[in-house]
Amino acid sequence: MAIDTVPPLIAAQLNYLLSHSPLPIKVEQMWSGSKNHGLLDRFTLVIPFCLDYIRWDVIYNALYPLAAPDIIFGPEDESFHPYHTAGGEGDLKSPNKSLSDWNCKDPTRLLSLILELRELYMTYQRKRVGGVEDERVKFELSTIVPREGIEMYMSSGIEKTEEVKFAVPLLGVDINKMVTGCPWRHQQKIFLQVIFPVGKKYMSAPSAPRLKLVDSPELKALFSIEDFRLPPWLDGMCMAEYLPILEGLLQSQIVDAVSSIDVRRKFIVALAPLFGRPVEADPVFCRKAAFLTSSGVFTFLHFNPSGAPIKSSIITEFPWSPRWESSEMAERFFDFLVEECLNFKKYCNESLLQQR
Amino acid sequence: MDDLPLQKIQISGPTLASLLQRFSSSPGDVDGLLFGRVTHIAATTFADDDPTTTVAASSSFDSPTLIATITSFICSNSNSTFYDSAGRLNLLSLRRICSDNQTLSLLGWFSGRRKTPLRPSMRESAVTSSLSSKIQFAFQVENSPKSYTLSPCVFLLLTTPFHDQLIHTHEYRAYQFRLSTEFFEPKTLDVVNIGPAFRGHYGAFCPNSQFPMLPCELRVSSSMAEDGNCESESLKSMKRVSEDQRVLDMYAEDFDVGRLNRLIGSDAANYTGELEDMYKKMLAKLEGLARLVEKSSARVLEQENHNMKLRCRVAGLE
Repeated sequence: MAIDTVPPLIAAQLNYLLSHSPLPIKVEQMWSGSKNHGLLDRFTLVIPFCLDYIRWDVIYNALYPLAAPDIIFGPEDESFHPYHTAGGEGDLKSPNKSLSDWNCKDPTRLLSLILELRELYMTYQRKRVGGVEDERVKFELSTIVPREGIEMYMSSGIEKTEEVKFAVPLLGVDINKMVTGCPWRHQQKIFLQVIFPVGKKYMSAPSAPRLKLVDSPELKALFSIEDFRLPPWLDGMCMAEYLPILEGLLQSQIVDAVSSIDVRRKFIVALAPLFGRPVEADPVFCRKAAFLTSSGVFTFLHFNPSGAPIKSSIITEFPWSPRWESSEMAERFFDFLVEECLNFKKYCNESLLQQR
Repeated sequence: MDDLPLQKIQISGPTLASLLQRFSSSPGDVDGLLFGRVTHIAATTFADDDPTTTVAASSSFDSPTLIATITSFICSNSNSTFYDSAGRLNLLSLRRICSDNQTLSLLGWFSGRRKTPLRPSMRESAVTSSLSSKIQFAFQVENSPKSYTLSPCVFLLLTTPFHDQLIHTHEYRAYQFRLSTEFFEPKTLDVVNIGPAFRGHYGAFCPNSQFPMLPCELRVSSSMAEDGNCESESLKSMKRVSEDQRVLDMYAEDFDVGRLNRLIGSDAANYTGELEDMYKKMLAKLEGLARLVEKSSARVLEQENHNMKLRCRVAGLE
C-alpha cells in the first residue's frame, strides 16, 4: 500500500498558509484526486467567518503542478462568483489577478488567494444582507454601517428560516497590549453575535434578537465571558443603542481582570518568604504556582493497601478574605497548611493502624 | 443572442459511455467541449378546457420548447486546454478545436474531476460564463418557426463519489447556464439508446459523415485515337476524375470511381452486388483507419508518459 504523500509544492503552500494566516484556518481533510490514490492534492479548508465557519474545497492537480488551484464553495453559495463578469478581458482590477499570474513555486500564493476570496465573500454577503426585504434589518444595517470590522451573513436553508447574522467586534482597545508579556499569537477580541430573523410582515413590537458573546479562544486565561451577564435588550432598542451599553460594562470588567493579575502576582510573591521559591509559576496571568515545602519530619512513607503512596485530597476550603493584605494572607495560609499537615499525619497513622 | 431555457438535454448512449470511459481512464482531471444541436419541438397542448381560458397555451408561445442534443465531444486528457487558471478563454485554441466540427454547433463544455462535490467550481463558473457570452460561438436553433440563436451554455459535470463505493462509480449532472441570472440551472439528462423504443428519439440525430457528392456518369476514355482538339478537354476530365477518386478513397478502399455509374440507370442490373462490394471496401477502409489510429495512439501514449515524468520532476515528486 503506497503511503499517501503531499506533493512538495502543494505542501509548501499549505504549510505557509497554516503558519502565517492572521485567522485560525484549519484543514479538515485531505484526499487524492488522481487515479492512483497516492498523492494528496485536495483538501478542505475551514475558514472562520462571522463567528462561524465556512468550508471551501481547494482542488489541486498533482499531475499538473504548475496550474493554480480551483476552489469549490459551499452548497449554499451557488451565486458567489468572485471573477469579473463579461466585460473587459484586460481588466487590471480583476479580482483574479492573483490566479492568472500564478507562480507555483511561491509558497505565499495560496494564503493570499484565500484571503482575497474571503474579502470578496464578505462583500457578497454584505450585498445579500443589503438586499433583504425586512424593514427592521434594513434599519439596523444603516445604523451599524459606520462601525468597522463587522461581518454579516445571511443563512437561507430550505428548512431553516432566513436569518441575518451580524458579528460585531467590541471594544476598540487592544486587549493584547493590556496584558504585560502576553503570549498570544493572534489578536484577542470579543464579538457580539446578533441574529435577526427575516420576516416579510411588519411586526409592531419586534422581539429582541438572539444575542451571544463570543471570544477568541485564548482569552479565557484572562477573562471568562461565561461569567459575564449580558445587559437586557429593552423593547424598541436597536444595535446602535445597545452596543455602547454593552461595551461600557465589558470595558470595566476587562480592566478589573487585568488588575486582578497584579493582585495574584503580589500574593505569589508574598508566599515566597514563607514557602521558599516556587518550583513553577505562571508569570503572565498568575493563576498557578507550585511550591515544594515541608513541615515537621516524616520518617515513614505510608502506602495504602494497593501499594500507592497516600495523597491528601485537594483542599478547596481555606481561609481567605479580600480585606487582607498579601503578606497577611500568606501568613494565614501558612498557618492553615501547617495545621493541615498535622491532620494529614494523624490520618496516615490511623490508616496504618487500621491495616494492622 | 437569446436567453431561452432548455427543456431538457439529450445525449446518445454511446457518447455518454465514451465520455465516462475517457474520464475513468484518465489519470487526472479532464475537460473538453460538447457538440450537437438544439432543436425546437412544437409544443402539443391538448387542452380539455375552453381555449379562451387556457393561460398555459399562451405561455408556450413566449418560450419555445427547446431540446439540446449532444452528439459528440472532444476530450483532452488534461485540464485547462482552452482556458487559463483564472477562467478566461483562450479563443485561439477554442477556434482551432471548433474548426474541425463545422457541421455541429458548440453546445458547451464538460469537466470531470474525481472525488469532489457535484456542483460547479469557481473556475468552471468563470469559464461557462465567458463561453456563454461569446457571440462568435452562438448558433441557430433548428426546426424553429422563429429565428433563435443560443450561445454555448451547456455544462456537464462528472465526478466520482467521495468514498469508494460499490454501488456506483460515477456521478454526473447537466446544467444550463443562464446569462441573465448567472445561475446554473440543472436539467434532466436523457440518455437516448438504440432500440425500437427509442426510434422516435433519433429524429434529432443525423449523419455526421455523409457520403460525398460524386458524379455518377463518368466516361473515362483511354483510347489513343482521340482528336487532338479534345486533348485539353480530356486532360481536364482526367484531373477531375483523379480528384473524385481521391475523395472516394477517403471512404472506401480500392473502389474505382468509374463503377459508380453502375449503381444508377440502365446499367444498374448488378446494383446489389456493386453496393455490397462498395460496402465491403468501405469496411476495409475503416479497418485500415482503425489500425492507423491504434499506432498513433501508442505513440501519443508514449509521449504522454514522457510528459508526465517531466511534470513529476517539476513538481518535485521523483
